[in-house]
This record gives sequence, structure tokens and C-alpha cells, in this order.
Amino acid sequence: MKLLSNYFKEMKIAARGFYFYIEIVMAVILLAILLLAVSETSTSNRKLFIYNDMPQKIVEYQQDKSIKDGDARLADATEFKLKPAKFEITHQETGETTAYDFTDEKIIELETMEMLDSSTGELEETVYYVETEEDMIRLAYGESEMGATVAMDAHGKVSNKYYLQGYETDRLKSLLYILDSESPNVINAKKDRQVVRTLGVMETLNNRENWVPVFLVYLGSLMGYFIVMAYIFYDKAEGVIRAFAVSPSAMWKYLISKIFVILTTVVVSSSIITIPVLGGQPNYLLFYIFLIITTFALASLGLLVASFFDSISKAFGVMYAIMISLMIPAFSYYIPGFDPLWLRFVPTYPLLQGFKEILLNGDAGYVLTYSLVFLAGGLVLFVLADIRFKKTLTV
Amino acid sequence: MISVKNLSHSYNEDGNFAVKNISFEVENGETFGFLGPSGAGKSTTQGILTGLLKLQEGEVLVAGYDIKQVQNERFNKIGVSFEQSNVYGKLTAKENLEYYAKLFDVPTRDPMELIHLVGLDGKENVRAGEFSKGMKHRLTFARSMLNNPELWFLDEPTTGLDPTIAATIKDIIREKAAQGTTSFLTTHNMFIADELCDRVAFIIDGEIKLIDSPKNLKLQYGLKLIDIEYVRDGKVAKETLKTVDELDRKRIGEIVNNYEIQTMHSKEATLEEIFIQVTGRELVYNETIK
Repeated sequence: MKLLSNYFKEMKIAARGFYFYIEIVMAVILLAILLLAVSETSTSNRKLFIYNDMPQKIVEYQQDKSIKDGDARLADATEFKLKPAKFEITHQETGETTAYDFTDEKIIELETMEMLDSSTGELEETVYYVETEEDMIRLAYGESEMGATVAMDAHGKVSNKYYLQGYETDRLKSLLYILDSESPNVINAKKDRQVVRTLGVMETLNNRENWVPVFLVYLGSLMGYFIVMAYIFYDKAEGVIRAFAVSPSAMWKYLISKIFVILTTVVVSSSIITIPVLGGQPNYLLFYIFLIITTFALASLGLLVASFFDSISKAFGVMYAIMISLMIPAFSYYIPGFDPLWLRFVPTYPLLQGFKEILLNGDAGYVLTYSLVFLAGGLVLFVLADIRFKKTLTV
Repeated sequence: MISVKNLSHSYNEDGNFAVKNISFEVENGETFGFLGPSGAGKSTTQGILTGLLKLQEGEVLVAGYDIKQVQNERFNKIGVSFEQSNVYGKLTAKENLEYYAKLFDVPTRDPMELIHLVGLDGKENVRAGEFSKGMKHRLTFARSMLNNPELWFLDEPTTGLDPTIAATIKDIIREKAAQGTTSFLTTHNMFIADELCDRVAFIIDGEIKLIDSPKNLKLQYGLKLIDIEYVRDGKVAKETLKTVDELDRKRIGEIVNNYEIQTMHSKEATLEEIFIQVTGRELVYNETIK
């Protein structure tokens, strides 16, 4: 009864404040952007620089065949500016390093082909044909894109040598190994080599749907973390926590009622975005379980942080640092090549992956495992916050 | 109702004590004044008694509960009126009281009755955020009466109130005392303490210097005084002289015989004058309206 009374009071206060409406209005705006401005299919901007070490006639034959099969189309020639550059490349298998030092600057015009998805006709990749291997390596480095040398030996056997940036996934590297001969050449254009894991789900969510997990995490859980702190600091400024502390009600009921308000807001805003975009596709039971548990965990983190400070201005540094840290996994989400091991320990990383799994009706085991992890973590944070608030009532 | 033995408290637990080894008892039905200037240790003591501050050293029993044990139910018997008003600005006066009433496990008073009692009639549906400082203070005071507390903590209950409202608040405190409510009144306003308290404690630098009733203190420390205004060299001069002091008595005679008297009043020493006499320290008033 006291819990319910606290919840209704908090909802009434939230409804009379602006945070609640910001969250809902933001959800509506994001939905409008998704439905009106984001297409279901993506526009590819992948580039590939190729140096063909084979007779021109064979090259032309292959290009004509691709165009005829609907796999490619010719585009206008493209100009690139080659700037002075100094770098090293390392052969992945031999470890042999080659140093390059270009001091000149020049503009080159490259024959350009657009590679298409044969079934949809959508642009997948733009291929630029470079006349020398050196220029190809220089462009791959300068443009931070993949380069390749396609060679044909005296027996007519074709082999590819790839120039990568170093952060590409093992998955991509494995794919290149499979596509090519038993003895491929995969070369990193930068020295750092990273272990990478990518999830296959990205390939099956369409472009519009692919935005939803990010919105769910940042508009939901992350805003929950921020808004619960805002509510607490507002109460601290009004002194009402001290008034509550001299009532017969337990402190945890006060704290959990704040989280319930956040959960209500997040469930509403997340539904506004998810249902119109995904329709009946996701498992909504799993969706709401994951949404509620993860929001609870991050809101508990917000409570704990708020317990250490008496005003939002004093908490701002820590609050901001945590928010930025929690936002980093979004880079990995959009740049699959950036996926270092440490990133998986940032809570929003499994959150993003979990929502992707749910939206695709994918790996429920992954979602449930992380739900349990977040529930346990959230409970620990909540208990710590409760202890902290009891100790710092005069703050 | 309250028993405090050897209570000490250090905010940084570094040996600098805000309250040093104080002991006192408050009887059932008593109105006990805890008096001292800002920083004397009044709020620290009240904070410990109300559970807002952790008990570090000493033994404290409040309303029959040992405050070392965490027992929220004790607040069913206790009411706390804070010096700084702390109500939800986004809730109306009535909603504030209705919400807090639901937190108690005992029968509570009708919020409208309390609103009327503190003179907020007609404001029950106005959000507290729109209230003046004094109105918020009255609402905070009203909230502390919701559960008909057996023990009532009052921290500067008339601060910032105009004289009429302050008089109403004092009447309510007297009425509650008559009904048997025990009150622990923390203030630096000696006039209010003098009017309301059965006993007072003077606290300075975290130490209790004296505990007694205002009446006994006046008998023990108070001296009959005479304020005289007279004309000397064409100007009005003023002197306060003790009637029990031989030299002062001679001076009174000298003035009466030699000068034109403008006014002459006898008076009792105030509690504030006794406080200064006992502690050697003056009280600092933050209020503009007393």
C-alpha cells in the first residue's frame, strides 16, 4: 500500500514535470524520423581499391560479364588525391613488415564500377580500378578502405592479395580465406590486430529496424539512468528525502517507486518506437522482460551515483563520464570492425546485442542469460544505493 | 520519553566533536527547549534523535526505542517539523498531506483539518511550489501533526512567520502540550522558549551548560532591573540599573534627585540575558520577524 502510494505520488510529480514528456516526445520524434526519413534498405558506402595484375582483356571480360549478369554497373570515373604518407604494412602470416614513404602529391582518375545486389539491384560496394599496386596500397591507406591485388599466373590461376586496415573482423578474414585459394595473402595496412566478434543478426535486420536497438538502449535505459538521478536531486533540493526518512516507511520503497516511474516511462517510450517499426516480429514477452530488467539495473546505477552527491551540479562530472562510457558500444554497433574485448564489459554492449536478438526472434538464451546478469547486478546496485541513502540522509 | 546518555558526535569521525558527551532526559508530556546559537550542536542532537544522523557514541532512547536498532515503526509515534520546509512543490498542500498520511500505520488526522489549523484555508489545492516561505513552513508544521505524535520534534517552529501566524503556531504547541504531547523544541529564539518550554537546556560548542525551567533560571539568575531615561545636558540619556546592587541603587537616587526623568520602568531579566550570563555568549538571530 505504501509502495503503491509512493508510486502514484511519483507518477503525479513526473506528470507535472517535464522529464516525462521529454521522453515521450523524443520517442515520437524518433519514430517519425525512422518512418519518414530512414529507408528500410541502406545505401552502401563501402569502397574497394583493386589493382589488376593480369591482361586488360581478361579484366574487361570479367567486367562485361558482371554488368551483363546485373551484378555491376559502370559509373563515372572518380578523381582521388594522393597525399604524402608514411606507413608500414605487415604480412599477417609471415609477420614481414614493409615500410612505405610517399612524399609526392598527385591526383589520379580511376575507372569506377558499382557492385550491385543481383536480387534487389541495390548498391553494395563501389570498386575503383587502380593502375599501379603502389597507388592502390596508398589509396587503401589514405582512404582507410580495403585494397586488393588480383593477379593471374602463367597457368591462368587467379590469386588475391588483400590490404586490410587491421581492425577487420576475423569473420571477414575467414571469408576472404574461404573465397580465395588455399594460400591467400591477407595483409594488414596497420599494425594493430584485434580479435573481433560480430553478430550475424545485423545482416537480417533491415536498415530502419537496425536503428531500434540503439534507440531502445539510449532513450530507454540510459535516459532512465539520467532521469532517476534528476528526480533524486530534485527531491534533495526540496529536502523531501529527509521528510520521508522520518516516516514509518522504508527507504527502499521510496527508491523503488522512483524506478517504477522510470520503468513506466521507458515502457511507454520504447513501445512507441518498437511496435510501429517492428510490428509483430519480436517476442514481446522477452522484449519487455529484458527492457524492464535492464532499465532497473541502469536506474539503480543512477540511484547509487546520486547517493554520493547532494546536487546535480556536483554529480555532473561523474554522471557525464559514466554516460559517455555507456555510449561507446554504439560505435561498435555501427562499426562492426571496432569491437575490442573490453567493450563487452560495458553494460550497454550486451544491451544492444540483446535487443537485436529479441527484435530478430534470435538467441533467447543470450537474452535470458543477460537478463539474469542484469537482474543480479541491478539488485546489488539497488541494495548498495539503499544503504548509501540511509547513511547520507543529511546530505 | 527521551533518554540521552553520554552522547557524542563527530561529523568526520576525527575527534572534532559537534556534540560532546551530553546527557539529558525529557519526561512524558514535557515541552523541552534545546537552546543555543547556530553551530552549537542543536541540529546535530536532533538529527541523532530523529535517526537522520547515525549514533556514534552514547545511548539514546526515543519514544521507548533504542535508536541503535533500525525501527521505522517508531515514526508512527513521532512527528518532526523541520526548520527548512521540505514539501513536494509539484503537489498541492492537500496532496502533500494525503501522501504522507498514507505512510503511517496508525490513524491519521484529516489533511483539511490540519490545513485549516495552520491558516492555509483556501490554499489546499494550490501547489506548494507556489507558496511563500512562510506558507511552506506552515505546511511542513502541519505535516508533523498528521499522526498525532506522542513525541514532537520542533525545529525553529516560528521561523519566518508573521507575528499572527507565529502566535497561532505557539497556541497549537501549547494545546498539544495540554493534551500530553511531549515536545522537543530546538531554537535560538529565547522568547519562544520562555513562552512554551517547561524546561530548557543551554547548549554551547556541543556541550550542555545548564538544564532547568525558565522560572527557576529567572529566580536563580534573574535580577530586577530598572530602565531609566533622563535629561542630561539637554540630551536624553538611558541607563539600566540593578535594584539589588548597592551602587546601582545609589545611582538611581542620584538620577532621580538631579535630573529630569523622562521614563522609568522596572523589568525582569529575560531568558536571553540569563543565557548570556551563563554561557558568556550571545545568540545570533537570523529571523527578521520574531
